[in-house]
Formats: sequence, C-alpha cells, structure tokens
Amino acid sequence: MRLGDLSERRSWPWYLLAPSLLLIAAVVLYPTLWGMSLSFREMRLNRPDLGTGFVGAKHYWALINDPVFWLSLRNTAVWVVGNTIGEFLLGLATALLLDRNLPGSRLAAVLILLPWFLPNVVAGHMWALMLDPRLGVINDLLVRLGVLDAYHAWFADPDTALGAAMVVEIWHGFPFFALLLLAGLKAIPHELYESAECDGAGWVATLRHVILPQLKTIIVASVVLRVISLVNAPDILLILTGGGPGRATQVLSLYAFLKVSKEFNFGYGSALGMVLFVLLMGFAFLYVRQSNILKEEP
Amino acid sequence: MSRRSRPARVLATIALWSVVAFCVLPILWTFLISIKPEEEITTATLTYLPQHPNFDSYVAIWTRSNFPILISNSLVTTTLTVLICASIGSLAAYAVSRTRFAGRRQIMMLYLGVRMFPAVMIVIPLFITLRQIGLLDSRFGLALSYTSFLLPVFIWMMKGFFDAIPSELEEAARIDGASRLTAMRRVILPLVLGGLAATSVFVAIGAWNDYLFALMLTTSTGSRTWPVGLQLMVGEFQLPWGTLAAGGMISIAPVVALFALAQRTLVRGLTAGAVKG
Repeated sequence: MRLGDLSERRSWPWYLLAPSLLLIAAVVLYPTLWGMSLSFREMRLNRPDLGTGFVGAKHYWALINDPVFWLSLRNTAVWVVGNTIGEFLLGLATALLLDRNLPGSRLAAVLILLPWFLPNVVAGHMWALMLDPRLGVINDLLVRLGVLDAYHAWFADPDTALGAAMVVEIWHGFPFFALLLLAGLKAIPHELYESAECDGAGWVATLRHVILPQLKTIIVASVVLRVISLVNAPDILLILTGGGPGRATQVLSLYAFLKVSKEFNFGYGSALGMVLFVLLMGFAFLYVRQSNILKEEP
Repeated sequence: MSRRSRPARVLATIALWSVVAFCVLPILWTFLISIKPEEEITTATLTYLPQHPNFDSYVAIWTRSNFPILISNSLVTTTLTVLICASIGSLAAYAVSRTRFAGRRQIMMLYLGVRMFPAVMIVIPLFITLRQIGLLDSRFGLALSYTSFLLPVFIWMMKGFFDAIPSELEEAARIDGASRLTAMRRVILPLVLGGLAATSVFVAIGAWNDYLFALMLTTSTGSRTWPVGLQLMVGEFQLPWGTLAAGGMISIAPVVALFALAQRTLVRGLTAGAVKG
C-alpha cells in the first residue's frame, strides 16, 4: 500500500500537518497580513471613487486626532481590567468552593459552566429582559428590597451602562476561570496543605503561600487568554448597547467593527485592528515576562 | 479542606449554591417568559410564575418568521465547520502528539498565537476574498472562516487526548509489522473517539454561537445564521418578548443538550493543557 509506505518516511508528520497549516495560512495569516497593509491604504466599499491607494500613516494620524478613539481606548481599559478582575475573583472563589466536596458540588460544577457555553446573542437578551427599565425583574426585585426607589434604565444611563454590561460579561465569562482554576486546585498535592496546617497557617496564609503560588502558571495563562478575547470580541456590547448611550460603552473592538460594518471604512477599521493587535502583543509579552512562568519550565 | 467546622461548611454550601443560582436563574427566567402569554409579560404587576403557561411564543417564532431557515443554515454551517476541523485538525493533532520532529513546539505556539489576531482585522480581508471567489454569503464560506478561530482550539484540545494514549500500544502494533498509518487507524483512532466527539462538540458550539463573523459574512436568508437573524428581528419588528425568549430557548437547546452529553470528557479536554502547565 503506497500511503502506508509514505507513513514510514521522515517527512510523514509534515504531510499530516500540511492541510491545517495551509488552512491557517489562508484564513488567518494571509488575512492578517492583508489587514495590516489595508491599514496603510484607502479602502471604503461605499466610496469606490477613492480607489485603494497607499496613503501612508494617514489613518494613524486620524486616530491620534480622533477623540472617539481615545475615549474607546479608555473604555477598553475599564472593560478589560474590570471584567478580568471580576471574572478571576468570582472564578477563584467558585473553584475554591467546588474543591471542598460540598453537598451537590458535582452537579454545581456542571451548572456553573452553562453561561460560558451560551451564545452571546441569547446571553445578551436574557439580561436585557431582566434589566428592562419598564418590565425587568431585577428592577422589580431591587425596588421590593428597597435598594431602588424606582425602576432604573440601566443601559440608557451613561453612568450605569458600562457597569451593567460588565455584570453580563462577568456572568458569561467567569466559568472559564472557575473551570481552569479548579483543575489547578485538584492538582495541588495534599501534603502541601498538611504541612501548611502543621505550620499553623490560617486560611488566608494557605491561600497566599500555598494555593496561589501553585496556581501561578494557570493564572497567568488563563488571564492572557481571557484578556485576548475580551479585547478582541465586541459581541456582548454590540448586542446590549451598540456602544451607547452616547459613547459610554464604546470600546476599541466595537468602534472598529462599526467603522467596518456600518461605514464600510475598511482602511480605518484595519488601523484600529492594528492598534488592538499591538496592544495585545505588548500586554502578552510584558505580562508573561513579568510573571516569569517560562523560566520555571524544565 | 475537610477538617473545618460545621457552620463554615454550611456557609460555604450556601455560597456555592448562590453562585449556581446566579448562573442558572437568567436561563430559568427566560424560559418562564417564553411560556407566559404576552399580556402576563407586559403587565404592570409582575407575576414571577406564569398563571396560564402555554407554548404560543414557540409556535409564533417557528411558524411566523424565517426562524426554521435560520436554524437550518446554522445546522449546515456548524456541520461543515465540524467536518473540516475534525478531518484536518485530527491529522495535525496526531502529528504533533505522536511523532517527533523539529519545529513541533513552534507549530503549537503558532496555533496558540493566531488567537491574538483581532477578529475585526481578519474579517475584512476574509470578506473581500470570499466575495472574489464567490463564497461570500455562503454557508461553506462561513464555515471556512470559522476555522480561523476554531481549528487552533480543536488541535490543542485533540493533542491532549492523543497525549493521553500510552505509546506502548502503538509500538506493539508496529512490532507486529503494522505501518504507522495502520497503527494510527487501527490502534489510536478507536481509543481517541471519545475525545474526538467531545472536541467536536466544543467546536460545534463555537460555530453555532458565533455572531460577529456571521454578521459580516452573510447578507441574505440563503446563508444567514440564527444569531444574526434573531438580532435582526429584534431590531426590525420590535419582537415581542415572549417570542424573543422562545427563539433564545430553541437556539440554546442543542447547546445545552450537547454540553450535557459531552461535559465530562469536554472538561477533561479543556483542562488537560492547564494542569500540565
């Protein structure tokens, strides 16, 4: 059999890898390089008369002078930092609880993962229904509990829109941290807890000196992955607020996406994409280096 | 740990189930809305449980909109995505896991690194390319685009499942004279089927749920998937709440079912890389 003979050659793995490498080159690498070059070109689908010529750093200059860009950058920072911290803390707390073999924790572990698997569109609408200014159940509950005097329009008030959207995103994203951190907790050897107990370490000390150091690699990796998707994906905000009211929830990825899908300004959208890319590269590089995880690898 | 006092344990149990409630109640509430008649939803005095539950909203979205077409488009796109990832991705994952060659680590880093490329930047050239080759607004074109973020994930997860198979099994087959190809087909493939199913479920959910790529790359009912269609209905027709909730419940039903079926293996696959570091 010819294929069987082929599998004995040294080049065999490359035959197996070739289709995936080609596909990734076609749908990721090539588009990304093209996107980078587009950020230095004019391209507006609704203005073919402008052509697609090279315009140098025009879009980048426009960015620097675009107040919406700076506002979006600020909102992106709030959005990403707030969500990452919120999701991490809730995820860590959940993982610690799940690790204690409480009644029903098997079932709880499965149910807690549900939000993470739900589509953004449905997740967004579930919360939009619950937070509705006229008929939302959360307003109803808060008024009954005496927290609010009257129903509040969470997504129409610039002061609460971003915060309310963050609650939705945290609901959607924290199971990711819970899942990975729980796996990490289960891998910590029992002797470490026992020796901590012998040393008279309390709960906080055990967390600080035993648990967190043991989880370090997982924490760094999961934070990097989560930050990447939070920076890149505007879905939840697109569904909940579309960037409004005004520009209170406008983040960079959403701004870029609206430039592309509403104004068909591909050049400017690509320049915004480049900024996202550079920010992420910088973040990943600094964060991974700062946390030293690569040095500890054998 | 287990040597704690009873009150602490009770508190911890309450805390844990509060988190579960936070996760599940929005889904439950949406379900309740979907079985309430419209006048019970838009009433000034909110009743939590439906007084006269019925399935009118489900009938409404299924018969009075193009929802069935949207769902079938999503089904086709999702199936195509899974087929592409499962065939191409399994070969790659096998190669990286079971054979030794220079550049293995770099390839895995490449598959990890491509996650960093902003979707917004990828989707523009994809839009132009797909339009040029006539695959814009097609379910196959959309499925191809989905591999940009799902194939790397698939390969990483599958590699974990391949890694878990002891190498002695393959070696034994090789000593018996089987070629590497035969050993792969007869020995490794049957052992990795569970992992393949779970990884496929993960990819299927990813393709089924996607909103952003579908929004950009589909323009008509011929290929439009349900997230885009549902979102359009909300914008255009001021969709009644009950109908929107019913649409949401229908579209998450397959996700919840697949997740329930595959969750154990799925969790193992998702966390395998994490524990090894």
